[in-house]
Amino acid sequence: MNALAACVGAAALAFFLALGLGVAAASHRMFPADSRLVEVVPSGVALGGVLGGGRLDDAAVARLRALPGAADAWPRLSLRVPIAASRPPEGLSYNWPPGLTLQLPIVGVPPGLLAADVPTSRFADRGPDEPIPVVLSRRLLEVYDKTIAPAWNVRRLPPGVSLVGLQIPVRIGFSIIPQKTEDVVRDARLELVGLSDRVPLYMLAMPLDAARRLHAEYGKADQGYTQVTVAARRAEDVPALTAAVRRMGFAVDEGERATAERVGTIVAITTGALVFLAAVMCALAALAIAQSLSASVRARVKEIAVLEALGAAPGDVRAIVLLEGALVGVAGGVVGLALARGLALLADRAAARLLPDFPFRPDTFFAFPPWLLALGVVVPAVAAVLGALAPAATAAHVDPARTLS
Amino acid sequence: MIRLRNVTKRFTDGDLPLEVLRGVDLDVAPGEMVAVVGPSGSGKSTLLYVAGALDRDFGGEAVVAGIALAGLSPGARAELRNRAVGFVFQSFNLLQGLSALENVMIPGLLRGDGTPVAELRARAGEALARVGLGSRAGAPPARLSGGERQRVAVARALFAGPAVLLADEPTGNLDAVSGEGVIRLFREAADAGLSVLVVTHEERVSRAATRVLHLADGRLA
Repeated sequence: MNALAACVGAAALAFFLALGLGVAAASHRMFPADSRLVEVVPSGVALGGVLGGGRLDDAAVARLRALPGAADAWPRLSLRVPIAASRPPEGLSYNWPPGLTLQLPIVGVPPGLLAADVPTSRFADRGPDEPIPVVLSRRLLEVYDKTIAPAWNVRRLPPGVSLVGLQIPVRIGFSIIPQKTEDVVRDARLELVGLSDRVPLYMLAMPLDAARRLHAEYGKADQGYTQVTVAARRAEDVPALTAAVRRMGFAVDEGERATAERVGTIVAITTGALVFLAAVMCALAALAIAQSLSASVRARVKEIAVLEALGAAPGDVRAIVLLEGALVGVAGGVVGLALARGLALLADRAAARLLPDFPFRPDTFFAFPPWLLALGVVVPAVAAVLGALAPAATAAHVDPARTLS
Repeated sequence: MIRLRNVTKRFTDGDLPLEVLRGVDLDVAPGEMVAVVGPSGSGKSTLLYVAGALDRDFGGEAVVAGIALAGLSPGARAELRNRAVGFVFQSFNLLQGLSALENVMIPGLLRGDGTPVAELRARAGEALARVGLGSRAGAPPARLSGGERQRVAVARALFAGPAVLLADEPTGNLDAVSGEGVIRLFREAADAGLSVLVVTHEERVSRAATRVLHLADGRLA
């Protein structure tokens, strides 16, 4: 019974912690917002340079980069020249619905923003006659496979395919809204050079220089940057940085970061509650072990007295009972872990069968890192040893002379 | 050796104090087998437990194997019992979950001096062979006769090479043949130089002893 109680406590602890970790990892894949990034946008009320705020231009970017706690700042420029794709990308054969024209929302970003994912040398404007390098959001591929492809009745991406190097034929200046089509429409190519979670989900990113070049080519007036991404040195610097940005007269787009934080908070709170429940179960297991070991000590009091007659010191007797408790805890922990892994496997299989195929659906909702496996054994062992303390003290105080008389 | 001087022991029976030992003097030299006889409740077992450092609440002076018992810590008393004292009880007191061999090994395991278990097992086997139970080493106590269990208990008591052997009614649950065998083992232990103190109310035991003392009214005569 002791080992069963420890086993159930360990299984609950490991199961709920693994679930929390797995769901947190899955939610991070869905909302990969970097907690250190602050998205700065022009304020809704523009009061000009006198009272701060105003346009997001290079000077503003420099001031943002110089804020205390800021590590770097990268401007973003929404492309105001329409670009559309009417033919499927070359090198990737799949059904392109006849007559489909896709308007491509594109944002120009400096190479530094995506440097962690794409070498800066590959993400540089190559000039008007060369393919324009673009970067996609990793998450867009998942959304395509799970949502867009089924909706359009087109083939999903083949598993394991690398889209880097894919060339997309486009028409620069063409808009599906006729009034917005430019006077000059020309054919060009976009070349996918990488994937990054720093690219907005439903957009392509091109080099900022390429966006500026296209704006100049099509006579678009300089309206400043659409947004500036400021990276804080540490996540703890974000609140102060956000306040400083607002004092400068700009606004902060909480958007995806806030969603990610909220989801993260919900996952953390739920996991915390479940783990607390598991901890209570471990505590109850400790009580069960205490009760059971106390009864065992009472039943073995003569044995204990004999051991003392043979030379066992009170400390030895205490150690024997504590060791018994520890072994029960360890055994319960090991079996509990195996039980948790088994239950997790069953839960994943049930989820795979019962849940619809949604974007970012993880293969598993559980994560069992090595530290969790160790915790799943250590916690029940510690709980069991704590439960064994009182019985061990009782055993150590057995009076051998009285008991053997 | 065992030396007791003016040993007193009191119990409390409800509110009434009960003086079980009243100024007992006792000497058991190496090589001696001393029998203490007396009626039930006369304090024979109490005397044994005082001499064996199992009972520490007593008055007077007690020296066992050259070590004064007064003021010894519980750990020191346990070490004395492990190294210098062997106990044999009327009801054998073997641990049921262990084999005969493992029961004999217990004092060696409790010593915790790093002796390899294999060596302890070998020595326990020899100890059992000396008491005629070499072929029964793997048997649990439940499968041994009363006489065999008591011989295992004697082997266990002698395993650590004690200077003192204390026995509490060792033949009380044995038939004549088994009892004679156990008594012979005690005589052999005394002849080997141990100080043997046996409390008994059986004549066959006292006949084998070097000296017989009578415990009555808390005093030894």
